[in-house]
Amino acid sequence: MKDQPIKKSDKFERRSFLGAIIGLTSTAIAAFLGITMARFSILPAFSKSKEAGWIDLGKLTDLPENKLIKKSITVAQEAGWGEFKASRLLWVMRKGEAVSIFSAVCPHLGCTVNAKEEHFLCACHGSEWNHAGQKLAGPAPRNLDQLEHRIENNLLQVRYQDFKQGISIQESI
Amino acid sequence: MKYSTPQFAGLYDWIDERTGVKAILHELLEEPIRGGARWAYVFGSILLFLFTIQVVTGIVLSLYYVPSADHAHASVAYIQKAVPGGALLRGLHHYSASGMVIFAIIHLAQTFIYGAYKKKRELVWIAGGVMLLIIFGFAFTGYLLPWDQAAYFGTKVGASIAGEIPVVGAIQQKIMLGGNDLTTATLSRFFTAHVFLLPLALGAFVALHLLLFRRAKPAGPFHSNDDHRTEHFYPKQIFKDTMAILAVFVVMVWIVQMNPAELGPPADPTSDYLARPPWYFLPLFQLLKYFPGKFTVIPTVILPGIVFTLLFLLPFFDRSEKRHPRQRPIAMAVLSLLLIGSIGLMLLSKYEDRKNPDFKAKLTEQEEDAREFLKAPFEPQVVGGAATIASTPAVVVANAEPPAIYVESCAECHGNHAEGGTDDEPSLLGIIEKKNRTKEDLLKIINNSRSYGLKKPMPRSFPDLSNEDKVAIVEWIDGLKTK
Repeated sequence: MKDQPIKKSDKFERRSFLGAIIGLTSTAIAAFLGITMARFSILPAFSKSKEAGWIDLGKLTDLPENKLIKKSITVAQEAGWGEFKASRLLWVMRKGEAVSIFSAVCPHLGCTVNAKEEHFLCACHGSEWNHAGQKLAGPAPRNLDQLEHRIENNLLQVRYQDFKQGISIQESI
Repeated sequence: MKYSTPQFAGLYDWIDERTGVKAILHELLEEPIRGGARWAYVFGSILLFLFTIQVVTGIVLSLYYVPSADHAHASVAYIQKAVPGGALLRGLHHYSASGMVIFAIIHLAQTFIYGAYKKKRELVWIAGGVMLLIIFGFAFTGYLLPWDQAAYFGTKVGASIAGEIPVVGAIQQKIMLGGNDLTTATLSRFFTAHVFLLPLALGAFVALHLLLFRRAKPAGPFHSNDDHRTEHFYPKQIFKDTMAILAVFVVMVWIVQMNPAELGPPADPTSDYLARPPWYFLPLFQLLKYFPGKFTVIPTVILPGIVFTLLFLLPFFDRSEKRHPRQRPIAMAVLSLLLIGSIGLMLLSKYEDRKNPDFKAKLTEQEEDAREFLKAPFEPQVVGGAATIASTPAVVVANAEPPAIYVESCAECHGNHAEGGTDDEPSLLGIIEKKNRTKEDLLKIINNSRSYGLKKPMPRSFPDLSNEDKVAIVEWIDGLKTK
């Protein structure tokens, strides 16, 4: 005997009713999981990081005058499950009591800015600044970024920050 | 039959012409089920759903998980305590793993009771048996990944058991651990198996299992071999499957809320942690107690080996066409013995732990530790020592113009501003600050670095420079201080 359907024809209404329930249930489970997973994946990227602290750069009077000094500092980085140490470069120039501290991160696309005899150069795309950080040439959109600093009892301290790239004003991230 | 509303019919036809989607849907949805849709047939679909849950939650968990002994625990604690939805997703992954073991055993037992492994369906059955083994592989490798106390010591015992297998044990253990001990190398191996190899294997076997099943067609109820009435998979069976899946899902979410997935303190190999396996390995764990020393191999290898060999060979030595359980008393007795035996051993191991005051106290203490750790707020792991904020010595690199003689004689190797070149061309910045290094020393080095005793002498020396030039170079280098 050949296999026979239980009913000659299912009522269309019943089929579509069950179909609707199947669709709704699957959608509900998928949406619940999907939203949970989206929150899980995306929200940590927007978590606020602690405010940067003051980093010692040594005695002011130990800095030679009118000379560019390369300083490497260690900053604390929060990233997910851990707190990490990362190195960052600064260029420091002292003129008497006045100090300028430049971030070595190019405001164009983030390469490292190096100091030449007469100017700063970002070798990646050829941007140049004079030793006061003013832009001379190249695709960089602005002057070198200057970092906030203070001098207390002859101790020079800097607050390290990253700035938005590719725009004409210096704006912290 | 129509699965689309008229306004999309044109689009549907267009897609069908290029993909054959109608035929695929027909194959998927209009499978005839002999005897009609039943709640009894939902377990396979539940398993497929749980596997899907494992895949999707596993993928997002890997966004934050780090398979390194140094960081695994911190990353799991971060997922569990800090990331929005992390406790829920990890909890689902955790309980869905147990769910897969439970429903795989139910699915297997049901197929056995229904006699659905018999003629035409032998390969479906064997593929299912392989999948059960893969699920245990998932359970064993996944258990280590959080690298907490339970994970570390549980796996340590598991690995030791594997090492006691005769002949191949020692080699197999080394390969499994990636060395002689349970280390970060082991974790990498387990991770690779857990997230790449086993999912590929299980995915392939799911496909094979379904393909073979569709080819052999569902066996239908055991009591009505003469019942030739059929019903399509869609909508009634899919409806029942979906409702069962919803129930399983809701229960799992509820359990996660009531009882979050465990995470104890990080693994401490020096502690006297009392290792206990996850529940599905408890029967074997209990059996271990009855077979001391050389006989360990009986419960760990021989008994499971016999059970799985019988399972794989079952369709070949049980060739009778009888499917009704009442006509197969021996088969039913064996199944009952296995199930009751396993559950009995599981309960017995629990009972013995409660009865022994030392074990009870220690286990209670460990549970308490784990609960406290789970409650404590998340602390980020500090990597690379305390995050002290310091700066390295300053270095003068520009605006300190060297004398012409330096540029002429030294710059080729040491750079125009003494910044150095390649590894063999050292920077001269701060060399005057080295211990016992005076200007006189610099003069000697210029005259003959080899006789001065530099570890790596310069390729050539400069004794022929005028005294004036030498002093100019030395004076300039003397100014290149870093402090």
